[in-house]
Amino acid sequence: MDEFWERRGQRELKELVVEASRALARLDADRLEELALSCQALNRELPPASAGERVSLASQAREAVGEMAVFARVLEATRANLQVMNRLRELRGGLLEYGERTAQGWARTGSGDGNH
Amino acid sequence: MGTINSAFSLISGALDADQSALSIVANNVANANTPGYTEETPNWSENSPVEINGASYGSGVTETGPTSLRDRVLEERLNQQQQLASASSARLTALTGVQALFTPDSGSASATAGDIGSDITGFFNSFASLEANPTDNALRQQVLSSASTLAGDVSNAAASLNEQRAALDQEASGVTSQVNSLTSAIAQLNLQIQSTSPNADAGTLEDDRQQDIGQLSQLFGINHITTENNGLSITTTSGQLVLTGGSSFQLTTGTVGGATQFYLGTTDVTTQLAGGGGELGGYLTARDQDIPSVMNSLDQLAYSVSTQVNALNNTGTDLDGSTGTVANPHYIFNEPTAVADSASGMSVTMTDPNQIAAAALGQGTGDNTNATAMAGLANQSIVNGQTPTDYYSNFVSTLGSTVSSVQTENTAQNASVTQLTTQNNALSSVNLDDEASSMSTLERSYQAASQVFTMLNTIMASALNLGEQATVS
Repeated sequence: MDEFWERRGQRELKELVVEASRALARLDADRLEELALSCQALNRELPPASAGERVSLASQAREAVGEMAVFARVLEATRANLQVMNRLRELRGGLLEYGERTAQGWARTGSGDGNH
Repeated sequence: MGTINSAFSLISGALDADQSALSIVANNVANANTPGYTEETPNWSENSPVEINGASYGSGVTETGPTSLRDRVLEERLNQQQQLASASSARLTALTGVQALFTPDSGSASATAGDIGSDITGFFNSFASLEANPTDNALRQQVLSSASTLAGDVSNAAASLNEQRAALDQEASGVTSQVNSLTSAIAQLNLQIQSTSPNADAGTLEDDRQQDIGQLSQLFGINHITTENNGLSITTTSGQLVLTGGSSFQLTTGTVGGATQFYLGTTDVTTQLAGGGGELGGYLTARDQDIPSVMNSLDQLAYSVSTQVNALNNTGTDLDGSTGTVANPHYIFNEPTAVADSASGMSVTMTDPNQIAAAALGQGTGDNTNATAMAGLANQSIVNGQTPTDYYSNFVSTLGSTVSSVQTENTAQNASVTQLTTQNNALSSVNLDDEASSMSTLERSYQAASQVFTMLNTIMASALNLGEQATVS
């Protein structure tokens, strides 16, 4: 099994998932895009030759289940954060509708004040 | 055409405005490393034009004061995530301490529960050994010894749980003074902001207020609502008013049944605070839900084992040919009267090994029927429909799952806080990142992470499938 990963210069599946979670927490888009490419390549070359490799890979997958749950939760939180940011952008885009408040100094046009 | 005077006025006005703007920029640079400082940008206002003989002449610009680049919606979201992360951190710390009690051979001094699973097996095995030679004194001593080990480990675990609960109670109680100090400070800031900047961003005063709200969010679950004149009201997540404008309401404590309860005014808000988030929410959840649940499981185990073993021993014949009576019961364990407190009260009351009733009622002292029956309890569903070993094993496994689940939540919440802090810093701190770049990074990261997740899911499913094929072949 180790050969399977070594051939591809990859670490264990669990480590890959942990790194993806960390990169997402840091919003390291470059690293995440690299990881996405690695995963694509890995997916293409998945079927290992020997039965031993299969068992080992299955074992790695089972070990990574907990880390996948963490990754799923981080992804879910990121989606919620992205929704908040998108909503703010929409609100700022619609500032003209809030002209009165803007005139009173609650926010300037294009400001970061999202209290609307 | 305007006059030379008006042109001069335009130029000097523009210079004044530039000077004001420069001082705002200088202030930003000076505060670049000030925690919680929000970047300010100058506001420009066009002066009213002057009309001469029907012609309109511009009269320049004026710098009308700075506006902070804060975003209250984002800050609100950050506070909410911070509340959840703080709650799960506090709960995780408590649960990890509880789990350590039930982790055998960890080498840790905190593993005071020893290995209850092995104790249970050892105790019932000692009856199985006694079956072979029911009159052997050493084997009888072994039964009492293994019973003492089991009872000692169970009662030690219960005592440690009670200690941890008391420690959590103290931690929770200690949060109160910090909460009150912060709410008073926020109320004071409210007054200053409302009097100095009722219709505009209050700059550093708002930074201070936001910092205090951030700290309050780490302590307990709150919602905040902006009110008129730039004021602020704060409620608990379940809606009890904590402060409004310049008035704050003190969080007070009282002891009920040995546990600290929390009050806002005369209302007991303990349950609401437990579910609300922040450190206090985490401490209270561990104190009032997690530890009592673990204790209840341990009580159930102690109660069932003690009462079932006692009942059998009391109806058999001991080595002296006697049988237990109501007045003089032959109990091995202290007989519990209710499930509650069974674990902390578990002990071995029998001191004479001859009183172990290995023989059945009416049989000679060399009979082993009752010893066999007591050994057989190990395989009977005597604890909530499960064998004692299975029950304990499931209990430890459930505890492990809870710890793991809280750990997952905590990791995800901390990641979310990190992301939001990055976004908030990009928006309101003094740095070169602009908002668009920050948003683009967030979007790219999410999209790439979604791809990684989908791929990994496929890889894992395939890997598990391949593993099954390998097993079959």
